[in-house]
Amino acid sequence: MQTTSLSVLLVDDQPARMQTLQDALHASGHTVVSQLTGVHGLSEHVQQCKPDIVIIDMDSPDRDTLESMAAMSRDAPRPIVFFAEQEQDAVTIGEAIRAGVSTYIADGLQPDRVRPIIETAIAHFHHYQQLRTELDSTRDQLASRKVTEKAKGLLMKHHNCSEEQAFKTLRKLAMDRGQKLTDVASEVIRMFEASAHQGENRR
Amino acid sequence: MPVATAEKTRLSLGFIALTDCAPLAVARELGFFDQAGLDVSLVKEASWGNIRDKVSYGLLDGAQMLAPMPLAATLGLGTRAVAMITGLVLSYNGLAVTLSQALFDQLDLDPQTVQTPEQIGQLLRQYCQHNREHGDAKPRLATVYPYSCHFYQLHQWLLAHSIVPGEDIELVALPPTRMLSTLKAGEIDGYCVGEPWNSLAEQQQLGRVIVSGHQIAPDAIEKVFGVTQQWATEHPITHQRLLSALSQACQWLDKPENQPELQQLLLHPDYLGPHAPAKNLQPHQPVLHKFWHQQNIPHPASAVELLEQMRARGQWQGENLLQVAEAVYRPELAPN
Repeated sequence: MQTTSLSVLLVDDQPARMQTLQDALHASGHTVVSQLTGVHGLSEHVQQCKPDIVIIDMDSPDRDTLESMAAMSRDAPRPIVFFAEQEQDAVTIGEAIRAGVSTYIADGLQPDRVRPIIETAIAHFHHYQQLRTELDSTRDQLASRKVTEKAKGLLMKHHNCSEEQAFKTLRKLAMDRGQKLTDVASEVIRMFEASAHQGENRR
Repeated sequence: MPVATAEKTRLSLGFIALTDCAPLAVARELGFFDQAGLDVSLVKEASWGNIRDKVSYGLLDGAQMLAPMPLAATLGLGTRAVAMITGLVLSYNGLAVTLSQALFDQLDLDPQTVQTPEQIGQLLRQYCQHNREHGDAKPRLATVYPYSCHFYQLHQWLLAHSIVPGEDIELVALPPTRMLSTLKAGEIDGYCVGEPWNSLAEQQQLGRVIVSGHQIAPDAIEKVFGVTQQWATEHPITHQRLLSALSQACQWLDKPENQPELQQLLLHPDYLGPHAPAKNLQPHQPVLHKFWHQQNIPHPASAVELLEQMRARGQWQGENLLQVAEAVYRPELAPN
């Protein structure tokens, strides 16, 4: 066994992210045990496998389990923040929080030994977060295009106008009110739907 | 009308999905933040650790916090020390101790009489003694977070009945969302947690509420609104407006006629969703709380009591209780 090899427990509910991070840490010679969040018995798991480091997704409520273990038992892994005496480490922790990952480490481990692992974790979480943001923004764009199209269609039908005129109407409304085009389009749809609904009730 | 401009108007505040997140939810949904000229997004966080870290590192402007949290953060207990303050209490009491139905049934209670927490405490002690003498397993009780009123009040209540955590009872840690399923699986025999998780155990007939926080420590501060000292210094006007809006929300919550609307509001998936407390549920031991009490002023004397609990539990060895209390609990900031 290499002297630099550490045992790492990964707690994450994103199987793809967990797998790539696990592979990366394996490649650096570490022993990695992974566990999905939402699984019972994290405390027992930590007590049994005594990891040097626990890396946990900040979306997991089990963070508080680790915090409690650290406070209640001397043998439990401690929050990495205890090592944040140096400015560099404080910066690293800030980055970790922004990337959505938190780390707990066993007592007595030198910061130099764990820093590369934490940085690898941050890089993976950060990359995943970027992918998610891109996906969300694509989804938003698609949704907003759909809403605008629908509002245009309704205006064309009820006001008997061309597509260009309908679009101009929407854009003017948006500019006058200082609102986003999508918001105005949603409101137009709501108005048409409400009046259609009233019509039905009257009948 | 406020004359001065707020330093910052778009704000993110963190909360945990518990019944007592109500002041933040109400301030947002009823427009109290809007009226104060603040555009507030509420962020549901998965853990108290997240709340503390995100406020510490400026990812959140402020948050609903456990009453001891700004003290623990300032002292650097379980974290890097970051000076935090509170200028407003958000709620008093609202936690309880629940035992699994199985353990409750073994306590040998007389079903004909009203069961007081004292009687149950005595029977629980006898049960623990019996187990210890016969070498049987200790009952396991779960708590959520080490620097919390749950942790302190559970210890207070057990010790008052000569039940010693560690010796008579095993204490384990679990997040609130996992309490019910773990109780159901029989892996724990009870827990101490905030609402709705106690009432829900009774509703699903998995457990019985045996004592409520208001019986252990009447009017104990449960949640506060916390920010870092640095944020408060840099945003004094914004902070004042936030506190006013939250104080308004707490006063709204104090009115019984607003309860149906609150229940409706908490049902929204942004808040408690399916875990919102059921309307007509009355646990055997009602879990009382207050959202408005003595103008929700955070008195340093209450902080001193919490610091004493930290010392009693071996979490802190400091001597300068009043000094810490006065630095963190700031009555002068509470809106009049």
